[in-house]
Amino acid sequence: MSTNIPTIALAAHNIVKNYPGVRALDNVTLELQRGEVHGLVGENGAGKSTLIKILAGAVRMDGGELSIQGQPVTIHSVHDAQRHGLAFIHQELALVPYFDAAENIFLGHAYPRRPWGAIDRGALRRRAAAILARLGTTLPLDLPVSRLSPGQQTMISIARAFAADAALVVMDEPTAALTDQEIGHLYTVIKALRAAGVTVVYVSHRLQEIFDITDRITVMRNGRVVTTAAATDLDQTKLVALMTGRDSQVAFPATTATLGGPLLTVENLSTSFIQDVSFRLHRGEVLGVAGLVGAGRTELLRALIGATPSRSGQIILHGQTMRTHSPADALQRGMALVPEERRSQGLILRRPIFENITLSHLRDFARGGFLLSRRRELARAQELRQALSLKTANLRQPVGQLSGGNQQKVVFARCLAGEAAGAKLDLLLLDEPTRGVDVGAKMELYQIIRDLAARGVGILLVSSELPELLGLADRVLVLHEGRPVVTLDAKTVDQATLLRYCYGLETN
Amino acid sequence: MSSWLRTYGTLAGFALMVAFFAWQRPATFLTINNVRNITEQVAILAMVAMTMTVVIVVGDFDLSVGALASLSGVVVADMLIQGMGLWPSLGIALGVGMLAGALNGLLVAYAGLSAFVATLATMTAYRGLSLWYTDGATFFSGIDEAFRPLGQGSTGGVPNSVWMMLAVMIVVWFILEQTTLGRRFYAIGGNAEASFLAGIPVRRLRFVAFVCSGLGAALAGIVLTSRLFSAHPTAGEPLMLNSIAAVFLGMTMFREGEAHVPGTLFGVLILGVLSNGLNILQVNSYIQNVLTGLIIVLAVLVSGLARRRG
Repeated sequence: MSTNIPTIALAAHNIVKNYPGVRALDNVTLELQRGEVHGLVGENGAGKSTLIKILAGAVRMDGGELSIQGQPVTIHSVHDAQRHGLAFIHQELALVPYFDAAENIFLGHAYPRRPWGAIDRGALRRRAAAILARLGTTLPLDLPVSRLSPGQQTMISIARAFAADAALVVMDEPTAALTDQEIGHLYTVIKALRAAGVTVVYVSHRLQEIFDITDRITVMRNGRVVTTAAATDLDQTKLVALMTGRDSQVAFPATTATLGGPLLTVENLSTSFIQDVSFRLHRGEVLGVAGLVGAGRTELLRALIGATPSRSGQIILHGQTMRTHSPADALQRGMALVPEERRSQGLILRRPIFENITLSHLRDFARGGFLLSRRRELARAQELRQALSLKTANLRQPVGQLSGGNQQKVVFARCLAGEAAGAKLDLLLLDEPTRGVDVGAKMELYQIIRDLAARGVGILLVSSELPELLGLADRVLVLHEGRPVVTLDAKTVDQATLLRYCYGLETN
Repeated sequence: MSSWLRTYGTLAGFALMVAFFAWQRPATFLTINNVRNITEQVAILAMVAMTMTVVIVVGDFDLSVGALASLSGVVVADMLIQGMGLWPSLGIALGVGMLAGALNGLLVAYAGLSAFVATLATMTAYRGLSLWYTDGATFFSGIDEAFRPLGQGSTGGVPNSVWMMLAVMIVVWFILEQTTLGRRFYAIGGNAEASFLAGIPVRRLRFVAFVCSGLGAALAGIVLTSRLFSAHPTAGEPLMLNSIAAVFLGMTMFREGEAHVPGTLFGVLILGVLSNGLNILQVNSYIQNVLTGLIIVLAVLVSGLARRRG
């Protein structure tokens, strides 16, 4: 029997996935062997997540073929994926917090019963212990899993996949919350899975781990597979070079801004997430903020706007120490934020475009600060529509009907709307401002950012796209695990160096 | 066609319902007298439903309005029996409503309880207060006669309670549609996180919405007490479910998935006309409840509100 099992556990051929304006996966081909640990790496937006979501049945592919052990398959739902023996271990683990480990491991299976129908907990725990023993680990079996550590919870998820006879386990950043000791433990378990013939796909931003545990590595970039190679044929420097590539096709508008006086000074700012961040920003300057997902970039912007409380440190704007406690205060001082998730954090999707534009500075367009004047609101929205070349027939249309790029322009317009009547924009915080935006709109947003800088607005730009950071920013502040690593001159630094700082491979 | 049905389906259903009752009972249903009956019957519900609209616009809801209406009714009756005089008694009862609404607002907006849990708890507590205050009895003797016109009198041929309902409706409509406050209410209901990041004081405004709801409930309780000229500790209970039902019916009309004043008015009228017409047809009152439930489900299904996400 066992000789008939194909060596290819899962093959994906020419997978294509399009999102509006973006080709997320462009003819991706990947073959995973039985009993191998396969690393999957790439920058944010390279297409790893989309590929995993397709395997998990959360997203449907637009083209291509999947086969499992030589048999063509379609995966249209999470249930399909489970039926084909695929298991997924995400950063947010899908455990029932009040159930104990044994109950979680066998969730979805029939629990062993006593003759009168009650669950046979003794038998259930013995089975769970047997599974864990085969994985070379032990766990407290009688506590609710919410009282176990993140590492132990990860083990439970893996044990569950193993109990379900999963042939392929995808681990997406499994070590994000683990201690070094727990990571060592995880490696033991992964090796046990491999020995049992299970294929493990290992996704991590921590390159050292990739080399520690994987047999082969696939590198993705811009929705394509760059290469698949044996881990022994690569090293970290080569890997980073493959991840970044050398091409950056997008041309960035030339800077016309001249640095003005100091605008913002941040001293030793700490929250529950970031520690001791200090920097200065001048008028007309674009300061890039680089780092991996979870490095604290969004957290920094949220602390500055007052959406997350700071624990210690100072924010000095216009020479005055800010005691910002809310975004409302920050807006009064000429700050504004373009948040990361446009649809869930930026816009009131079902309300009209003009209402979204005037929302932050509604008083400026109201008689006596209270009575709405739609005439004034529409007039200001009309000005900004022209200034930002917002493409819409009607400003009364719900903003949710616009394309991603135009939605983002509405968020920008809101930040600028107050200029006419007092609250002048001085400091603009941008969090992934071009995410999910097509190339044409991207170029327009770049020009808008440049124009704002030229008018003396200080800009803090968080972006996962390194060409964008280096193309727009004057300097780049790198964060790693919540701490500032270095501030680099965007004119002289190259992408590979920047990325090495992001990954913590280089420190100052 | 289907988009027309989604936008105007509830309105068309309302028209059909009126036509049906008029056809069945031409001599009684469409008479000035009966129209007057209906408006008077719905006036008190409409007051609560209007302020409930504010809370639902913000994205919360308030289960305590019925118990709170009873409590304010009991308080105003007792003050009048004690000889406090008309205006101080009204002031105190409205004050009770405001405070109770403020407590709801504190629990939801500042302590972070879900609106369901918080107002379910306060509903129980406010009901308990009324029962304790009255010892389960009905206050009826010794209420100041000056209080009677509020719920029973008319001005210019229109019942005073209807005038008050119109006043509440206009004030709520004006706030929601014509002021910065209303715009911000709608923004919060549309996307609270985006509103917060755009500089709207989300907590404070959710709090304010609950205070409005408390005031509306207290006013309804006062008018109800005047109409019955007695105060029972659970007299206001039916207002809670009916006001929420009215706002939901209203959300199926005109604008997609948002509560608004004209919609709520129609929601109240649908409930009022249905109950009035079925009474005229002498339909068993238990069956009336079943029919009301069916109509709500039908309106929500036809309008596509059920399929709306988030």
